[in-house]
Amino acid sequence: MRRVLLLLALSSSLLAESRIASDFELAQMEKQLATAHGFEAQLSGHANLGDVRAARNEPSLASREYRTAYDLAARERLDARRDAQLARYATATSYAALAAAKLHRDAEAFAFAEEAVRYASDDAETWNLYASAMRILGYPRKAVSAARNAVTLAKKPLDVAVDQYALATALLDSGESAEAETLLVKLTESLRSERFASLRNDVARQESFEIYSSAHGDVAAYVSLLNRAQLRLARLYEERGRNELARRTYERVLDARSDDATALAGLARLATSSDERERRFAEAFEANPFDRELVAQYRAFLHSSARATPASNGSTGSEVRRAIAQLVRGESRAARETLDALLAKFPANETLRTLRVEAEHANASIAALPSPNPTAAELRALRDGYDALAPEQRVALDAMTFTSLATFESAQVANAQTTLASGTIYGVAFRFSEPTIFAGTFDTSAPLRLTYRILGVTRAGDEDALLLEPVRVEGGR
Amino acid sequence: MKKLVLLFALLAAPLATAQLLIDTPRGVVAAHDGRVELADRWRVDGVANATSIAASSDRVAVLDALHNEAVIVELASGRVTRVATAETPIAALFVSGELYVLARDARVLQHVGGASIPLAADPAFVRAANGRLYVYSRVDGVLEEIERDRVVRRATIAPFASDLEVDGANAYLLFPRDARVRVVDLRTLRVSDTLAAGAVPVDVALAGGGSALTAPILAVADPSAKRVWLTEGTQSMTQAVARGFLRGVLGLGLFANRSSEFPTGIDRVVARGSRWLAYDSSSGTLYRVTRQKSTVVATGIAPGAYALTAGGIAFWQNGRVRIVP
Repeated sequence: MRRVLLLLALSSSLLAESRIASDFELAQMEKQLATAHGFEAQLSGHANLGDVRAARNEPSLASREYRTAYDLAARERLDARRDAQLARYATATSYAALAAAKLHRDAEAFAFAEEAVRYASDDAETWNLYASAMRILGYPRKAVSAARNAVTLAKKPLDVAVDQYALATALLDSGESAEAETLLVKLTESLRSERFASLRNDVARQESFEIYSSAHGDVAAYVSLLNRAQLRLARLYEERGRNELARRTYERVLDARSDDATALAGLARLATSSDERERRFAEAFEANPFDRELVAQYRAFLHSSARATPASNGSTGSEVRRAIAQLVRGESRAARETLDALLAKFPANETLRTLRVEAEHANASIAALPSPNPTAAELRALRDGYDALAPEQRVALDAMTFTSLATFESAQVANAQTTLASGTIYGVAFRFSEPTIFAGTFDTSAPLRLTYRILGVTRAGDEDALLLEPVRVEGGR
Repeated sequence: MKKLVLLFALLAAPLATAQLLIDTPRGVVAAHDGRVELADRWRVDGVANATSIAASSDRVAVLDALHNEAVIVELASGRVTRVATAETPIAALFVSGELYVLARDARVLQHVGGASIPLAADPAFVRAANGRLYVYSRVDGVLEEIERDRVVRRATIAPFASDLEVDGANAYLLFPRDARVRVVDLRTLRVSDTLAAGAVPVDVALAGGGSALTAPILAVADPSAKRVWLTEGTQSMTQAVARGFLRGVLGLGLFANRSSEFPTGIDRVVARGSRWLAYDSSSGTLYRVTRQKSTVVATGIAPGAYALTAGGIAFWQNGRVRIVP
């Protein structure tokens, strides 16, 4: 009971911060759960899986796990009462409160939490779970009050530390950051002090580094607690502009676990060069490709830095980065292809779904067809919105010809003829449906005047391109 | 068939459905579904999540502990006043027509329209006697006496009581862990007696007695033992002498062998005069209790969705107030 409780108490702050669990890790967790016996093991397993699913932005799958946890707790409450075991009843009721909170059943969670403290107001864990439930539901002042009781009642050093963390996070949610900072500094120093030396030795001996929202044992609890407390403190420093302290604290997190997504994203935000920022973002996406906050931060970075679409190494993280870059560059067709491939692998992922909807809606932005001498913006709008053209717009487009200065990528000249295939118009890529031979010799080192029809949108190398039917080419002036 | 019915009742534990009932001089008032209602008189907007209700002769107050709100409704007209409370208002009490709200997480007793009185950590229960208010704070184990919106006396009793009742002479604090009632003499604010109270008692009610010649009777809900224990509160020396003996420990007093058994245990007990109700929060079962036996009144009842009235037992069932004799 003890360690399960500890980590569930931590779970409310994990959702947006965790390293993503791979499909393999999830399968392992599900396998472990299948062989787990007893209420606590089962409940912690499902709550843990729910948190992992939530961290992967798979809310429907997360809810399914939380509902299972809720049902388990509800059954345990009744069994405990039937067996006249009231401590067990209080524990099950606390868990029912937490599960109800995760399912956003506010009134029910509150009622369960109150019922639990009727029976166990002398129990630190009960108050800790009360605080966690209230934080999840967005009642931080209630959480602060409950967490204060937990801190007052906790006895063992690790328990005190857990409750201090719960109090600090609730204080932060309440906007009481001064007391929270003091607590977090004290807590992280304490966790790194001689007081926990023995536990640290166990951590090293067991090579324990996993951050679970629910786990058994002091070692797992210590690892998770130190990780979360340092991350909270680092973020607080960062928010206050104390960048050097923030950087150092994030790096301490990475000392224990080099693929912590939150720490890597923090270091990306604090990076002093664009290259370092890109590298840190890449590492963060490898750790958790689906974190919404990370996606937003990376998008802002791309907007401000005008970087090229990152090369993909085939990993999920790099593919998500690539999709974001494509969206930022307005290459919605390419983004859709990238996202569709990702969604085939992660069909329940809300982050991917949101990005996919965005890529789809980018098409709807075209209001008018390009002018006869189109601007770059008109061509980009047509490229990005081509799929959303109304039937009458397509008919009109088919009948139109356009003239632009085009820069060709290469040309083959032979027998007073020039073969041209692709290039850019004001930076917008295009290609012909097939290489086309033009009479005359053209110097492609300078733009040429191209008259053309627009047939559609295609791919040219790594990006979306307009598919053109050339009408004629003239020397540019 | 009986087993099936029982199972259904157990699964229907309605802990989260917020309906509250209270008896008033004008009838039973119900707070439900965001409304406050006096049947056939008025129905007004209430709070989103009713968690506690209190009444005086002319008003009723409904609290929403989750959203820190109270509505006060005049019984005669249904006129509503809304009040924003401090954090987590868990209990309300009218004293001489004045409304007091206990806001646990703000650690204050709010006199509505008056002062906010700071309290010890985790104030959990408020009661009134002799024109004074008594607040017990669980984590600190402190009983505070309040008069004219000031804490006038404070005594550390013991932490983690699960209930408090007061009569004119004593406060009764119930402690589940050591299964004891500590009796606090209100004249001295000191523990004057300690009574055994079953296995894991969680709720206590004053259940009659307390005359010049008899000690008050305490009904104690003990879900672990699946019983309501009946015992005597502290009797005065005059009472003891008049009756010729001093009460001993539980089971040796007047009500030996008169406890009631409940299949799923009970954890709440209410009394009005010599009539008692017991309630099981885990299954939502409401029982009528006498000294001889207990009978099921209704199942699937929410905590607080019942009340003893002058004419019988009122409870909320199937979307309306039912009253049975």
